[in-house]
Amino acid sequence: MKALLLALMAIGLPAAALAARDVVSLNLCTDEALLTLAPHRAAAVSFLARDPSLSVVAAAARNVPAIRADAEAVLALHPRLVLAGHYGAQSVLVALRRTGVRVLTFGEPRSFAGIRSQWQAIARVLGAKAHGKAAIAAMDAQLARPSAPRGTATWLEPGLADAGVDSIEAAVLRHAGYRPVVRSDGLEALVANPPRLLVVPAIPRFPSLADALLTHPALAGIARKTVPARFVVCPGPWTATAVHLLR
Amino acid sequence: MTRYLALLLLVLCVASLLAGGAGLGVPPSTILWLLRLPRTVLAVAVGAGLGVSGAVLQGALGNRLADPGLLGIGGCASLGGAVAFYWGLAAAAPLALPLAGFLGAALGGLALFGFAARAGTGLAFILAGVALASVASALLALAMALAPNPFALAELGDWLMGSVADKTPATVLLASVPIAVGCAMLLRLGTRLDALALGETTAASLGFDAAATWRWAAAGVALAVGAGAATAGGIGFVGLIVPNLLRPAVGERPAALLWPSLLGGACLLLAADLLARLAPMLLPLHAQPRLGVLTALLGAPFLVILARR
Repeated sequence: MKALLLALMAIGLPAAALAARDVVSLNLCTDEALLTLAPHRAAAVSFLARDPSLSVVAAAARNVPAIRADAEAVLALHPRLVLAGHYGAQSVLVALRRTGVRVLTFGEPRSFAGIRSQWQAIARVLGAKAHGKAAIAAMDAQLARPSAPRGTATWLEPGLADAGVDSIEAAVLRHAGYRPVVRSDGLEALVANPPRLLVVPAIPRFPSLADALLTHPALAGIARKTVPARFVVCPGPWTATAVHLLR
Repeated sequence: MTRYLALLLLVLCVASLLAGGAGLGVPPSTILWLLRLPRTVLAVAVGAGLGVSGAVLQGALGNRLADPGLLGIGGCASLGGAVAFYWGLAAAAPLALPLAGFLGAALGGLALFGFAARAGTGLAFILAGVALASVASALLALAMALAPNPFALAELGDWLMGSVADKTPATVLLASVPIAVGCAMLLRLGTRLDALALGETTAASLGFDAAATWRWAAAGVALAVGAGAATAGGIGFVGLIVPNLLRPAVGERPAALLWPSLLGGACLLLAADLLARLAPMLLPLHAQPRLGVLTALLGAPFLVILARR
């Protein structure tokens, strides 16, 4: 069977058309890739994929069974491929690999170049190269528009941590024309040297201590823009939309 | 003693207004009034509540190891706060957070003093407290795991380390009022605690019922600790250290220990928070160490010394 499939792939027939619903994704980021590139192959995706405040594929995810990282539940679906993140549920992945299931893990790209190469890799694995190329082309078209320099900006992560210069958030700010400022710990330092703009991820459904902090009156004097968290939680071609929103 | 501690607290308060992440010296008014003042007030309130609670618990139970954190009352307060927070109650009504913290602490306190009424206040009591603490932390973990919020677990770790930094003035006010009421209740228990120190029978002959004293103590501690723990997270050991530290200076009488412990707790917590703020200036740290981490680091060796005596 495997040999036959390989042979079919080699002569260019899309394997996806033959093997329906044979991929399980256990991580929000791979959920989004799977449901964007090859929705017909999705046997199950994680619960988070259904949440519109975190996921860009919430509507599509409702048509696919939701799963938690549980080796037995995954095996019951007889997947040919399991997609997961680099972190979390590693023991489940080890168990799955031991039973012979192909498990691939993907990290979170920290730049648009990283998104391009990762997206190509996933598209290749899912047999959806053309889809992948089109998505990247659309992203690059959105990014190609030049942005006027706009001064400094700080991206506030949940927990008030600064995203850092080597992050997708910083890449988004740079593409939108801002100079990302890495801020030391605490609100005081932020208020003492306020950036031109404060970018705040919006995660409406989940109250968090971080959100509570963003309502602090000491921050009232700094201009802010909200960007839906789903565009950056998992970097992908849609992350260009975050750039667009900040322009 | 009380006068010296009050003076020390005053000095620390001034220092607290002059040091922080924005640097040393008088800061711009936004930082002074909206960040440093709330931080100072919360540190003083939480520390005072923990200090006087420790003194009252130690007096009421005749046990020097009694401490709201060690006995699980602080843990129960955190549990209440976490439930209110992650299940959206705190977002719906700001009062829900301190109220839930108080309710958690009150339930924990009632369970504990109910146990004391039946089984006495010796080793079994401490064990019951440790059991309560572990139940509280287990339920806290369960609440986090079941919370409909994927970020809850990550935030829990941060929150449990305890911090008085970056709270809004409204939050600080909501926490400080119940703490002040609780402290006032506890400070009035002096005579009852002194009577209880003579033994339950003697206290009863003087007209002071031990069970009633314990009830008042439980309610006062719940107010003094609950709202603070719900707001500032897990800050341990202050209630344990402060009364034990001050006892050699003020003597064994429980009533004499109440005011000094209140002031001493406030001093200790404010000093620890100042240390947290100064640490990134003195050491190659990119963030301020958490307050709960510092009090635990200070408290653990003290516990060992106490055990060796």
